[in-house]
Amino acid sequence: MKGLRKYLTPFAPDQSGAASVLYDLGGILVICDAGGCAGNICGFDEPRWSTQRSAVFSAGLRDMDAILGRDDRLVQKLTDVSQRIDANFAAVIGTPVPAVIGTDFQALCRMASRRLDMPVFSVAANGMELYDRGAQEAYLQMFRTLSKDAAGKDPGRIGVLGAIPLELGDLTDSDKIAASLREEGWEQVVMYGMGATFDDVCSAGSSARNLVVSPSGLKAAEYLRERFGTPFEIRYAMVDWPLRGEDLSGKKILIVHQHVYASSLRQRYLSQGAAEVRLASWFEMISELLEPERDCHLLEEDDLIGLVRNNSFDIVVADETMEPMLPFFCGRFVPAPHFAVSGKQVCV
Amino acid sequence: MDRKSAVSYTAAELSARGKQDIPSELVSGTHLIYNSPASLMFNSPGAEGYGVKRAGLSVPDSVMLLVAPGCCGRNTSLISAMPEYHNRFFYLMMDETDLVTGRHLTKIPEAIEEICSFLPKKPSAVMICITCVDALLGTDMERVCRKAEKTTGVRVRPCYMYALTREGRKPPMVHVRQSIYSMLEKRTRDPRAVNLLGYFAGLRQDSELYPLLHGAGIRCIREIGKCASFDDYLAMAEANFNLILHPEARFAAEDLQQRLGIPSVELTRLYQIERIRRQYTAFGAAIGVSFDDSAYYEAAEAEIERFRTKYGPVNFAIGEFLNANPFELAASLLQYGFRVSEIYAAPAPEHYVYVNRIASLSPETRIYSNLEPTMLYYAIGGGSADLTIGKDASYYNPDTPNVPWNSDIQPFGYSGVVSLFWELDQAMSSQEGQR
Repeated sequence: MKGLRKYLTPFAPDQSGAASVLYDLGGILVICDAGGCAGNICGFDEPRWSTQRSAVFSAGLRDMDAILGRDDRLVQKLTDVSQRIDANFAAVIGTPVPAVIGTDFQALCRMASRRLDMPVFSVAANGMELYDRGAQEAYLQMFRTLSKDAAGKDPGRIGVLGAIPLELGDLTDSDKIAASLREEGWEQVVMYGMGATFDDVCSAGSSARNLVVSPSGLKAAEYLRERFGTPFEIRYAMVDWPLRGEDLSGKKILIVHQHVYASSLRQRYLSQGAAEVRLASWFEMISELLEPERDCHLLEEDDLIGLVRNNSFDIVVADETMEPMLPFFCGRFVPAPHFAVSGKQVCV
Repeated sequence: MDRKSAVSYTAAELSARGKQDIPSELVSGTHLIYNSPASLMFNSPGAEGYGVKRAGLSVPDSVMLLVAPGCCGRNTSLISAMPEYHNRFFYLMMDETDLVTGRHLTKIPEAIEEICSFLPKKPSAVMICITCVDALLGTDMERVCRKAEKTTGVRVRPCYMYALTREGRKPPMVHVRQSIYSMLEKRTRDPRAVNLLGYFAGLRQDSELYPLLHGAGIRCIREIGKCASFDDYLAMAEANFNLILHPEARFAAEDLQQRLGIPSVELTRLYQIERIRRQYTAFGAAIGVSFDDSAYYEAAEAEIERFRTKYGPVNFAIGEFLNANPFELAASLLQYGFRVSEIYAAPAPEHYVYVNRIASLSPETRIYSNLEPTMLYYAIGGGSADLTIGKDASYYNPDTPNVPWNSDIQPFGYSGVVSLFWELDQAMSSQEGQR
């Protein structure tokens, strides 16, 4: 049945993707909710939260705030906080409540900008889209609002877009990406959303190149190319991967993951001898990487079940939460953790 | 104002201002709510312990269908991973079209039928959990559930996870307590049966409440968390009276009184043994018996004395999210001769009876709100406590021995005091062992 989930819990929503991009930038993040969304974002979708403090707040909306549209109260609360907290910017992130009552985020930000001595922007998430959509919007708004015109390019600097914890299996993956790029000769690797500072974002125009490692970074890369002329490429800088070093001759493989990671994995498996590698993703897919005959977008649980049932795959590579959906599958299931799916980190 | 320190007040300051003038920093509705691991239980009550979702599934053999935007069910995988919740959570994901047209409500019967055919055994009930979105849409979920029940032949009941109404007249945890007892139907009353209402996993088996009730002629004590089957659950309708052990169960008790004619009596969880004794005396008078609680009283008194003799005037820091009222607990510990340097909890007006007592015994005790924005700057590890109670208190004092005191199985009465001091002893002795 469309929309019914019997095996998988819901994936990380857009508001979590937005918060993840902005989490360690030193801003005030206001989740425009009643509390539960902020609790889920931090307590479940943000692995940095338990070790790294960040000024993430819930708007603490109550029924009468929503019914009466008391945006002025929210602006007042945000103003009060800005006077007590050191921050570079403020961002308001939407949830289902403002989506239902039709909150005008632009007007809200304009009101707040007049009262706060810092840039203010919003991400109109609604809790019904997935994390990649929220991350994509947060990247765009972040660069639009905070990046300054660049004096020139730094030939040793590369920006990485899309390497937020939700995209990865564990927090050290971003270090591996950075290490791989340094090996390629880049002196400064700036991981936006995963260690980049406020100043790094302000000077985004000085990067010689950007690297998109997940679909959530693509729109921002296009924006930065348009605004600063920064070229970009789409690939996952891989150091290690599932089935690395195995002879995959003649194997028919299905990979279920975020599209850039899955696509880079496909190249590895083909070079290891795989006969055919097909990709599927629950999240956004990038047309440049798509092989329409082999790749597909998943919407319902039955889509994946049907895909596996109707094809004789030897190997399925996917987050382990999908394994119980495929009790009939007689091939080999290889776990490829995806935090946005399972909410679990791999112990390293 | 110092931008780098957390706001706090001493007990003396709060007491002097009085319950009519609680500082705005300690009133959550007046400021943005800070999200730290110490405030998780406020923002996301289901992250640990019982939130609406787990509570709704207290009904034996029931399943839950969460009808909501995906974000509302995201954290449920934590619960689903627990063996007792395998195949008990299902999701009907809302999209923007549903929001505009309300069509998600028409899909519920079909979803229930698919769930029933998916499961090896028909569930006793399907609890429909809905969230803030439907609160704002004004969905009449009672009607939707009645219709679904008629179509599918399965009991269907609503669970309202309306975070927007958490400070209203009927917050989600009050509502869900009503929902879980709403399937009880009128039966012949058994004068020797009683229900304990308020907790989802039941009381610790060593609570003196059981032998005291048995001593008063009660033969059957039922709790929803200890019902092995749906039939056991239905037998709760036979109770002669309900004993309310958590104030959030008052509404459920009123509902049971109106629908089934079962009256109720309320007991409060306390840690001061003199007050526990007075409460049992009053309770006995209300039901026409006299409880002999002297052995339990003496055991609790002895356990406190043993701890005090062993460790001296220990200094505590007390959190908010624990199986106790933090202010009552603090006042009790002070009364027993211990010290309390910090309390991480915002007092409500009804807590002032304890705040005033704390102020008289320990005027310098500092009171913080976990939710206040400047807690971002709390000097973690900078406290002076020897021992912390509550996971939130441990967050602020990570190197200090801690007793989380937040188990699902609930402590109550003198045995709760004994258990607490036993756990405090364990924490202190393990710390000394490490030295």
